[in-house]
Amino acid sequence: MRYLPSSPVEDQALLDAIGVPAAESLLAGIPEALRLGRELDLPEGGSEQEVAWQMMGQANRNMRFCAQFLGAGAYDHFVPSAIDALISRQEWFTAYTPYQPEISQGTLQHIFEYQTLICDLTGLEVTNASLYDGGTACVEAALMAVRVAKKRSTVLVSRGLHPMYREVLKTNFAPHDDLHLVEVGLKDGVTDLADLAAKLNGDVAAVLVGYPNFLGAVEDLTALAAPIHAAGALLVSVTQEAFAFGWFESPGKAGADMACGEAMSLGNKPNFGGPFLGFLAVKDAHKREIPGRVVGQTKDLEGRTGYVLTLTAREQHIRRDKATSNICSNQGLVALRANIFMHLAGPAGLTGLAELNAAKAQYLRERLLELPDLEPVFEQPFFNEFVLRYQGDYAALEAACLKESLLPGLDLGRFYPEYQGCILWCATELHTRQMIESLVEILARVPVLAEEV
Amino acid sequence: MFLRQREPLSFERSVPGKRGMDLPKADVPAARDTRPAHLKRSGFAALPELSEVEVIRHFTRLSKWNYGVDDGIYPLGSCTMKHNPRLNEKVAGLPGFTDSHPMAPDALVQGNLELVHTLQAWLQEITGLPGVTLQPSAGAAGELTGVMLIRAYHVSRGAKRRVILIPDSGHGTNPATAAMAGYEVVELPSLPDGTIAFDDVTDPASGKTRKGLRTLVAELGPEIAGAMITNPNTVGVFEYRFKEVSDLLHSVDALVYMDGANMNALVGVARPGDFGVDVMHLNLHKTFSTPHGGGGPGAGPVCCAERLMPFLPVPVVVRDTVKVGEGEVPRHTYRWDWDRPQSIGKVHTFYGNFGILVRAMTYCLSHGSDGLKAATLRAIVNANYIRVRLKGAYSLHIDSPSLHEVVFSDTLQAKHDVHTLDIAKRLIDHGYHPPTIYFPLIVPGALMIEPTESEGKDELDAFCDTMLQIAKEAEEDPDLLHQAPVLAPLRRLDETTAARKPVLRWTKP
Repeated sequence: MRYLPSSPVEDQALLDAIGVPAAESLLAGIPEALRLGRELDLPEGGSEQEVAWQMMGQANRNMRFCAQFLGAGAYDHFVPSAIDALISRQEWFTAYTPYQPEISQGTLQHIFEYQTLICDLTGLEVTNASLYDGGTACVEAALMAVRVAKKRSTVLVSRGLHPMYREVLKTNFAPHDDLHLVEVGLKDGVTDLADLAAKLNGDVAAVLVGYPNFLGAVEDLTALAAPIHAAGALLVSVTQEAFAFGWFESPGKAGADMACGEAMSLGNKPNFGGPFLGFLAVKDAHKREIPGRVVGQTKDLEGRTGYVLTLTAREQHIRRDKATSNICSNQGLVALRANIFMHLAGPAGLTGLAELNAAKAQYLRERLLELPDLEPVFEQPFFNEFVLRYQGDYAALEAACLKESLLPGLDLGRFYPEYQGCILWCATELHTRQMIESLVEILARVPVLAEEV
Repeated sequence: MFLRQREPLSFERSVPGKRGMDLPKADVPAARDTRPAHLKRSGFAALPELSEVEVIRHFTRLSKWNYGVDDGIYPLGSCTMKHNPRLNEKVAGLPGFTDSHPMAPDALVQGNLELVHTLQAWLQEITGLPGVTLQPSAGAAGELTGVMLIRAYHVSRGAKRRVILIPDSGHGTNPATAAMAGYEVVELPSLPDGTIAFDDVTDPASGKTRKGLRTLVAELGPEIAGAMITNPNTVGVFEYRFKEVSDLLHSVDALVYMDGANMNALVGVARPGDFGVDVMHLNLHKTFSTPHGGGGPGAGPVCCAERLMPFLPVPVVVRDTVKVGEGEVPRHTYRWDWDRPQSIGKVHTFYGNFGILVRAMTYCLSHGSDGLKAATLRAIVNANYIRVRLKGAYSLHIDSPSLHEVVFSDTLQAKHDVHTLDIAKRLIDHGYHPPTIYFPLIVPGALMIEPTESEGKDELDAFCDTMLQIAKEAEEDPDLLHQAPVLAPLRRLDETTAARKPVLRWTKP
């Protein structure tokens, strides 16, 4: 086995030094009856060449596309080459959690810079070293809001939140009989203010709203903040596409008290849904309730600036069952990718990319609306995703697209019965005009193709 | 390592007008602005303006202040810092995997679904447990999923139980997880070897008695939902009465959760499913060599017994056999099954940290049945070699063969006013990452060393020689240790001020 530094002579020397005849003798502490007593029923190990070929075959059994018009919480963006080159440095990818600060200043300073930029994007004051993904970030935000609000036990969740985020919230709230998740309905593609008003009361700790929401529509956080704050609750903005921070005002400035969501867009590929990058940013007043690792600036014995993990009194290894969360890792390397991406992009890059995404999505929408069987469902400002109703059969449309190696938008009816027959489309800077024209051409032929069948 | 002494914050280097990214030319009309005035992005306060070369140098220089597995032994106990094969990274970066969309129709991602199914089959055989979900993103997420399965089991039987038992030797995530899943934690006392105390334990100093497992089961019986047990425990000792523990818990229909953080000692040697475990998590970033990445991403698959399978998170991958003609090899297709009425629901937005699963699968295929067992045995041999070489110079917590890790304490050095923290910091001056310190909590001044199977005799000897020298330094020149580290980019850092007056981001001066 090429990874094991094993040789008959050396192995014997180790055993002699320990004073046992064979490695198996060291298993004496495991009662005989509890041992396996046979070899694992698994294939033998493979050479690097054999394994590489097998895994390449595995990867090739996934279909590749010329273009994906599917976003829905996992966005395909261009990844600058510098990112893969930098994170391939063993000092980044093989290192452990920076518990020993003197020997981990690289990771610690990077996280401090990452925290600074997530605060910049969200317009809030404090964030952590990252969370698992958008769905679990919503859970942490909701539970934190309950801690902050004290004695309030209801969390309102807009139906515009990513359906999977809502599922993850439900799973995590189920064990808590004393907490309640209540859904607020949609009207014209955004959170229904009347339904919100009806459900806001003195027991509501927080309201979670998509920004932009799953349907691509931007929620007016400022308008939502007024009734929510009047009821003494916190407004939590949930963003699943971090590129939108270059287009829409930061949640903090627009009126949100907390911002969470998914930042995989910054320097990562869709990766079949993970590893992704959850984030949660909050106001300074709430910093001692934030879950997860936080890095702070300090001085060493000689007065030089350095960085350490801090506010650890909130965490599981100190507080055990009284901790703010059980989380003890972060998405380290994914956060590093995002940090490098934000450094390369800078303010001009993030703004420019956002404008490009908005332009491509608007162009796609206009071209699709020229087709007779696609029509608007609602009119709301959007970023790089939007919903159109399709008069034809989605299965036929999907088949026609796949035949030409294009992945169409999402069949919304899967998650929203009220939007049966509607499709959620996405376009990013990766979509050339030519790809968009090809899609339109194929869609124009779907009714004809269907008839032929 | 440590090539340069200073690298300022990138923000301090920012110069207006510089850029590290050129945008593609627009081939569609410019975006019309439909945003309400108050929702237009008003600008950024910190995003730096740097060229590509400056960004690359910044992150290259920062990296040199880290210590990685390729720098040498990384002896963190309970963390299993083994070699991270480059093949695994290369495979996980194949566009066929990285470009695949989680919402794509099942028929288009057969490669991914087959990989998920195959990895699950390997983990089933390794753990001896028939149910697997790969959705949890980390060990702690796996624990939470596992405890929610336990809860769903009891709820399905009409019982609301309120207590989870956790030994005081357990990792802090265990009680934090139980609390997040709505349970009350009752602590189980452990014996000096970290194993669970069956009988009540009286502390000779205080005279205080703590209830052992037998008393707690007798008193709390139907209130106990389950117990969370790390095995081998945090002292590196196999819970040799595990079967008795699980039988006792099962007698009151309480379930047994095994924290699999230390599974590197058991793969190919013993299977939790064979000694009464109902549910457990694995840390793919420990046992299965996926890189720690400076803190993540990891993956924490959960394996469970048959009676918990109905509650596994959705979706579950299913393999269908395609009918073929006589004499032909059957073909398989794979799909996600979302129709699981008793499922606890989703625990990750999509299917977990898929890119990490690809790496773990590659690790499995490279090792195979033979390699997995060989790795386990070598990890155990390495830990015992360190035990034998350092015994005498450092106080050994338990003087019997250990499994994959060995725990010392600082009692011999404390005579010279040198403590575990000083020993750890002095190791940095000698060019090593310190072991896990002050954990487990039941060993005062613990130094927990886990070499893993990746270290050859030369590496082990060099590390042990250094540890022996430090023991000598502690006797002869304790101040050398009190001052350490002096050769790292920074001396000891003021963590108290950092927590009292937190500075958690850079702001423009």
